[in-house]
Amino acid sequence: MTPVLDVSDLRVTFGGRVAAVRGASLQVAQGETHCVVGESGCGKSVTALAIMDLLARGASRSAAHLRFRGEELSAREIARLRGDRLAMIFQEPMTSLNPAYTIGSQMGEVLRRHRGAGRREALDRSAAMLARVGITAPELRLAQFPHQLSGGLRQRVMIAMALLCEPELLIADEPTTALDVTVQAQILRLLQALQREMGLAILLITHDLGVVARVAHRVSVMYAGEVVESAAVGDLFAAPAHPYTRGLLRCVPVPGETPRDHPLGSIPGTVPRLGPDFVGCGFRDRCAHAIPACAGVIPRQGDAHQFLCRLPPGWTETRAA
Amino acid sequence: MNVRALSGFAGVAVVGLVTAAAIAAPWITPWDPFAQDLGARLIPPAWMDGGSAAHLLGTDQLGRDYLSRLIYGARISMMIGVLTVLASGLIGITLGVLGGFFGGLVDDVVMFAITCRLAIPLILVALTVVALVGSSLTVVILTLGLLLWDRFAVVARTTSMQVRTLDYIAAARAAGCSRTNIVLVEVLPNIAHHLIVVATLEMALAILLEAALSFLGLGVPPPLPSWGLMIAEGKDYMFFSPWVIVIPGIALFVLVLGINLLGDSLRDLLGGRAAR
Amino acid sequence: MSAAIEIGDVRRVFTAGARTVRAVDGVSLSVAEGSVMGIVGESGCGKSTLARLILGLMAASSGEILVGGQNLAEMDRRARARLIQPVFQDPYSSLNPRRRIGGIIAQPLAAQGMRRGERAARVREMLAHVGLDPGMAERLPAQLSGGQRQRVAIARALILHPRIVVCDEPTSALDVSVQAQILNLLAELRRAFGLTLVFISHNLAVVEHVATEVAVMYLGRIVEQAPVADLFAAPLHPYTRALLASVLTPEPGLGVPDVGLGDTLPDPSDIPPGCRFHPRCPEAVARCRTEAPATRWSGARMVECHLADFTSSSPDKTAAAHPETA
Repeated sequence: MTPVLDVSDLRVTFGGRVAAVRGASLQVAQGETHCVVGESGCGKSVTALAIMDLLARGASRSAAHLRFRGEELSAREIARLRGDRLAMIFQEPMTSLNPAYTIGSQMGEVLRRHRGAGRREALDRSAAMLARVGITAPELRLAQFPHQLSGGLRQRVMIAMALLCEPELLIADEPTTALDVTVQAQILRLLQALQREMGLAILLITHDLGVVARVAHRVSVMYAGEVVESAAVGDLFAAPAHPYTRGLLRCVPVPGETPRDHPLGSIPGTVPRLGPDFVGCGFRDRCAHAIPACAGVIPRQGDAHQFLCRLPPGWTETRAA
Repeated sequence: MNVRALSGFAGVAVVGLVTAAAIAAPWITPWDPFAQDLGARLIPPAWMDGGSAAHLLGTDQLGRDYLSRLIYGARISMMIGVLTVLASGLIGITLGVLGGFFGGLVDDVVMFAITCRLAIPLILVALTVVALVGSSLTVVILTLGLLLWDRFAVVARTTSMQVRTLDYIAAARAAGCSRTNIVLVEVLPNIAHHLIVVATLEMALAILLEAALSFLGLGVPPPLPSWGLMIAEGKDYMFFSPWVIVIPGIALFVLVLGINLLGDSLRDLLGGRAAR
Repeated sequence: MSAAIEIGDVRRVFTAGARTVRAVDGVSLSVAEGSVMGIVGESGCGKSTLARLILGLMAASSGEILVGGQNLAEMDRRARARLIQPVFQDPYSSLNPRRRIGGIIAQPLAAQGMRRGERAARVREMLAHVGLDPGMAERLPAQLSGGQRQRVAIARALILHPRIVVCDEPTSALDVSVQAQILNLLAELRRAFGLTLVFISHNLAVVEHVATEVAVMYLGRIVEQAPVADLFAAPLHPYTRALLASVLTPEPGLGVPDVGLGDTLPDPSDIPPGCRFHPRCPEAVARCRTEAPATRWSGARMVECHLADFTSSSPDKTAAAHPETA
């Protein structure tokens, strides 16, 4: 079955100097949630924006191929499909919803544009979708403005808006980061339920490894513009291969497991900003296992569980004295 | 980008030139701007028929050299501009920061003061003042300085209200700093760039207002070579000796334009750096 | 051991026109010397307002706060600064962008009247403690990363050697790997300086790692308080249980739990009658709608809930026992 989204060797450079994405490849199958996880500056949000062709001016984007359901996505194609078969939701529901217009008029705009729906039909379908995402009294909400809703409700409205045209792919950029933790759980469950009902493919961008573990089917770990590891979620957490992934997992405290009086694992140094001509492993300045060869071309190892490192799969830590 | 840079340079060039001319006036003027020569009245500028190299910009209706009067007029304009901005800036920034930073009752009082000020008609006040104390350069500077502070106050108030909510202000209070120290060291430097832009705009406004007042006879008294006054005095000769009003008119236009361009480019420059 | 902080039925009300927001609505808390008091809660719970009250940055509408045994409201600003200092959440707005790092860190010293020469030496010493180069003193905040800025904020907080440091979400705006560095630094400095910490966070996993005691806030009150191990092993209040259930640990295969709370959003300007949690509580009974629960204590544990029972521990939320430290 052709994947819903197939991206190969995506590259994005800003102003010719900062290489935000340096060759990212990933695939999302129907009904699957693919999480892209990484810290700030790794290029995960830029990847999402690049796929949707929403990058700011001054960004140049290129890819070996960028396919939606097997067809190449040209800029014109994307513009036609955006909001229709490809949808995106963002982190801050307040700034993604226009505060000057009611919920109803914003949702109605989507239906009018893509489905040519009339006003009455648009309202009915919007109300139905709001109910489907678990919003009570949807007709009341349609007449309200974004500031009258809580963060969790606004995010549900965003999801409803994104799903109005029954898209095949939903790209969610940190959809729960700005929400309270109890609301986050509800929103994630909602996304899972909708995925089951609609066979939706979800590309979920996040920095939270907990979210990844609980919702993802496949995971791509990004660092400094590259996908450094990519695997099924169980494999990634059970046997992380890349030193960055291992380091990242050690940084997260787990109640009941992480010993209290010991320091948390941490990764020394900070994320670098790399130019487009950078060669070698972007992690080498922070890696305990770096050798001179890491400045050269790094092999991409593995098949279903891929990682970008010269170390052999299943390598073990050598403890320095 | 290039247009912006060019206009920025133009602004700096104009203002720089005029300031330099104003400062160097005693040394660079070819004639005494007050010296009348009734035998040499209304000589056209050097490039027109009948002009001569002795008077590059011609003479006015009393035979005074126009170039010299223009340069001394620059002095008056710049003095008005700078001194008015200093006075109104002091008043406006103090009021604005007090209201914006302290809020509550203090802010209510400041807002009321600003509203009152906005209700005052400038020309009528100038008329009254002149009727009471007569017109002079000092009177003009004082009148404008005591009336043009509203924009300073509004901008200072808004920006200090924004800064007040930032964590570094809370940290300064927790560190035990006095309120005065916080306003001077933490707030003012972070709103200064907005205020500098306002200052350039107010300067342009003050210069234009002075010209208008002098034109109406409410500003600088003759024989001082204020550009506005020069236009007023020359309007009777407008049709036969148009240079008498055109030259100071162009000078005003160029100076005010230059100041505005300077203000724009300062806003871009300082605003950009502060945004980072 | 005497309490480092003693909060007695403190309230803080904000009025905006017709709306009255009861941000802190009767909080009583005692923070023991040398402990780490974790305060958890979601938006609208009042934890940030409580932080500002404890720091003396805001006056309480009623109630008393004692810091180091002295009444906070009567302390002069310099004495208070020597006792208690903050570390805020946003490293990008907690440092004055127009000042150099050295000046920022030295600010509390200057406020105490220390002379310039002495200040420079103390700043250098503090930079070393937080793991920054002495050359950093000449830089501007814009030149530093988020993690470095937070280190500067910590240096500024500690330069007067205060007894208490109030950390308001100190790592929430940082990347995971940087968060770990900062948490480790805080733990190290706490031991080195003998600090008492008040650690406010919405991230329960982090709180579990750093705190010795935890207070759970909801709509302006503390609804449960316990030593950290007890709280995580056997939470008593339904809200605490919901919070703990929502913690998504990086363990695949467990799915996303159904936390079971309703969709009503907590609004401090419209606090429900009876138990303030009842509109969202999956276990609410009739009594909860009309009668506010009393504050009940048992040893070091406190809870405000009609249904909570100190003797039984809830069966559906037990974490593994803490591994003993080496």
